[in-house]
Amino acid sequence: MIDMIEKEEPIISEEEAAQYDRQIRLWGLDAQKRLRGSRVLLVGLGGLGAEVAKNLILAGVKGLTLLDHEQVTEESCRAQFLVPVTARGQNRAQASLERAQYLNPMVEVRAYPDRPEDKPDDFFLQFDAVCLTGCSRDLMVRVDQLCSQRNIKVFCGDVYGYYGYMFSDLASINPTTTASFCSLKEALEVDWTSEKAKASLKRTPVDYFLLHVLLKFRTDKGRDPDPQSFAEDSQLLRQIRDDVLESLAVSGDLLSDDFVSYCFSEMSPVCAVVGGVLGQEVVKALSQRDAPHRNFFFFDGRKGNGVVDYFGPN
Amino acid sequence: MVQLVGSLRKELADSLSSCRVLVVGAGGIGCELLKNLVLTGFKNIEVIDLDTIDVSNLNRQFLFQKKHVGKSKAQVAKESALQFCPTANITAYHDSIMNPDYNVEFFRNFMLVMNALDNRAARNHVNRMCLAADIPLIESGTAGYLGQVTVIKKGLTECYECQPKPSQKTFPGCTIRNTPSEPIHCIVWAKYLFNWLCSRGHCVLYLCGSQLFGEEDADQEVSPDTADPEAAWNPEEAAARATASEKDGDIKRVSTKEWARSTGYDSIKLFNKLFKDDIMYLLTMDKLWKKRKAPLPLDWQQLENHARPQEDSPGSGLKDQQVLGIWGYCKLFQHSVETLRSQLEQKGDGAELVWDKDDPPAMDFVTAAANLRMHIFSMNMKSRFDIKSMAGNIIPAIATTNAVIAGLIVLEGLKILSGELESCRSIFLNKCPNLRKKLLVPCVLDPPSANCYVCASKPEVTVKLNVHKSMVVFLQDKILKERFGMVAPDVQIEDGKGTILISSEEGETEANNSKFLSDFGIRNGSRLQADDFLQDYTLLINVLHTEDLEKDVEFEVVGDAPDKAPPPPSNQEETNSITNGNKDSAQPSTSSKEMKTDGCFMWRQRKKKSVQENPCTRPSVVLFLPKTDLCTGPNI
Repeated sequence: MIDMIEKEEPIISEEEAAQYDRQIRLWGLDAQKRLRGSRVLLVGLGGLGAEVAKNLILAGVKGLTLLDHEQVTEESCRAQFLVPVTARGQNRAQASLERAQYLNPMVEVRAYPDRPEDKPDDFFLQFDAVCLTGCSRDLMVRVDQLCSQRNIKVFCGDVYGYYGYMFSDLASINPTTTASFCSLKEALEVDWTSEKAKASLKRTPVDYFLLHVLLKFRTDKGRDPDPQSFAEDSQLLRQIRDDVLESLAVSGDLLSDDFVSYCFSEMSPVCAVVGGVLGQEVVKALSQRDAPHRNFFFFDGRKGNGVVDYFGPN
Repeated sequence: MVQLVGSLRKELADSLSSCRVLVVGAGGIGCELLKNLVLTGFKNIEVIDLDTIDVSNLNRQFLFQKKHVGKSKAQVAKESALQFCPTANITAYHDSIMNPDYNVEFFRNFMLVMNALDNRAARNHVNRMCLAADIPLIESGTAGYLGQVTVIKKGLTECYECQPKPSQKTFPGCTIRNTPSEPIHCIVWAKYLFNWLCSRGHCVLYLCGSQLFGEEDADQEVSPDTADPEAAWNPEEAAARATASEKDGDIKRVSTKEWARSTGYDSIKLFNKLFKDDIMYLLTMDKLWKKRKAPLPLDWQQLENHARPQEDSPGSGLKDQQVLGIWGYCKLFQHSVETLRSQLEQKGDGAELVWDKDDPPAMDFVTAAANLRMHIFSMNMKSRFDIKSMAGNIIPAIATTNAVIAGLIVLEGLKILSGELESCRSIFLNKCPNLRKKLLVPCVLDPPSANCYVCASKPEVTVKLNVHKSMVVFLQDKILKERFGMVAPDVQIEDGKGTILISSEEGETEANNSKFLSDFGIRNGSRLQADDFLQDYTLLINVLHTEDLEKDVEFEVVGDAPDKAPPPPSNQEETNSITNGNKDSAQPSTSSKEMKTDGCFMWRQRKKKSVQENPCTRPSVVLFLPKTDLCTGPNI
């Protein structure tokens, strides 16, 4: 990336200096230049996606590509602020494009209406960082495996009602940190039967297990819990909770029923919090400045708790 | 059966659509907050901000675009937010929340008030209004990567003023005038110099040390301080020196502004006076230089002769981030003085200029003058970029921190509206997770402080001052307004006669302004009742007379910790980011004028009692940061 900067413009324009003044004073000019040379892919323009888009566009990346196959619904208008109320029925990425671009004309914003599953491998490889929201577990695992091999930074995140998480895989050789990252697959497939793991359960945020439940719901139903089918989805959630905890060989008591009615839909303030943390992690990774969070961030909007923890082998 | 509207219980969703909320401030936090409120389903929102949009806002205040620069923040924020939700009811006020129109009745219209402010005076004021109206207030602040949210509810929690906040850092006059040792001293001096040259100064008499000054604001004197106690080999000599120079009609005792005017603001004459003659005068005070490196006077002609043409060629990177050579700053000084002179001439007789970091010649002037002085006192000169940070008190800011904090504000708001006050928390956003892995640290709210001079049932304070040397106007401006946050104070003496000392009605007690407190029979043990009727606030002041205050200290509030620095943060990086990435000392007051002050960094005592949940394992930082063009800065 440093090469890219020297080939492009070493001098920051007066316009950029004026607009980015307050952030250059925080993270410095070099960091701003690295951002300016970075291209990012953002999958999913729901509530969380829109927040991440806003944060990265304002930060001044070179390009942000929006990818989303979903259509704009009434729900989308409530969840995010990039889609005009008149855009019902349109593709969500394309409907978000105009307002996203207005946020900062100096960033190249593009939108594609395709399913990420249908995209070939080399589509993902053209970016410096990839950020996946609203994606199935399988897709996230696949993209993570593909990208981290090529030094492309991978981020995942979702918001479910009052709860949200973000995950990062910066496995590539990063000169500023010696800490290691693991793949999403490894992070999700921790073996809880080992003595060591059992001992650490007490200090483990239950949000990790909640994430498993919600990802399984998404895989099984092809969607997230929907307020319109509250009754059946609640029951299904409880069932999946039982199954997941059993399959992970951990106690059924870890996750009480309480969470069920609080994980529907994407809550705007929770999207703002998770999107803020996730956005800043992407900025840090691209600018190669400041220690990244390893490797999960969990937010519980009911308690106001935001925790960083590492899940993976060893 | 639970019914949901989106993520929310139906009852909560319904109450959101009917309640009215007030957002104070439409800047970094305000824009994010408005967006969150509208998307969450709040339907009746009022937003107030006195400011207009600047290009430097655009990296985070995302409701604004380049085409909006110069327009009202509140107005444009409303228009942009309405786009997300055309059915929301948003009222925008391009006004100051301290305007008496926004009285207790106004505040009572709302179920919830949310601050998105950048200065302490407004925070104090809204705090009092919400106490008076008994409306819950959500307070918040951000700086760089850090942020905080807290809830204030009368009778239940601490109010904003329950915990003393560190006051603005100020430097002794002799440090500024005689013995600067850090760049910030030179920058403060340069801003005082600007005020001296370009404004009328105050028409009130203030006391500065043992000298009484005429027309101008003595707090901002720039010429050598002959009464510097350090300069004297013995105290009698200092007094003699001071009297002698006054009697002499010594040119250095003529006010800088008068002198400058008399020379027609000749930049080279001004240069030689400030950077050569005054420095040579300082050198005669030889005791000052026994243990310090003596300053080196500059001579315009010599510098011109030695100037090299390629000295100031720009490199790559920001022009503002370059440090010029000494001749470069000489030329910059000359050029900016000439520009300021013609600005003054254009404005005509009695014209004044107010310093503004975004006004290029004003900023150039301070950059040049501060650097010339730094060079004289053997300090490395600084770029315009760095000087602007310090002189303009710039707090670095990014979108993501504001987004997180604004999200937390709404979540606290929802708890309040659900009647779940006991689940409200103070939440701190750290840069790195703490020992318990927490990036966001919720803490239980503290109950009100019994001794709070604002929310206690009959607030009372004791103030130490010299009744023979403190003027009524000083009591009004420096003590009641600046220190105790009143906006329009009324004061009566508890002397059995209810003598009115100060009236908030314009003109009524103007005749009292330059009289001393002792002229009204005020002495040790006297009690004054100070009221701010707008804030519905009464404060009883016990007067403790003393002849014995430290130099440059004009009053003390008994019970205040002396101006000591708070404990250092555990993470050095955080300090650096707050002090704008420079390693110099925290930014102090660079003006004694009415400050658009602060918010400050406040360190909380570690709680002694055990906290059931989420004990804070490191001192929490209450982040209400200052922001002003004129002065003051975070006190770290």
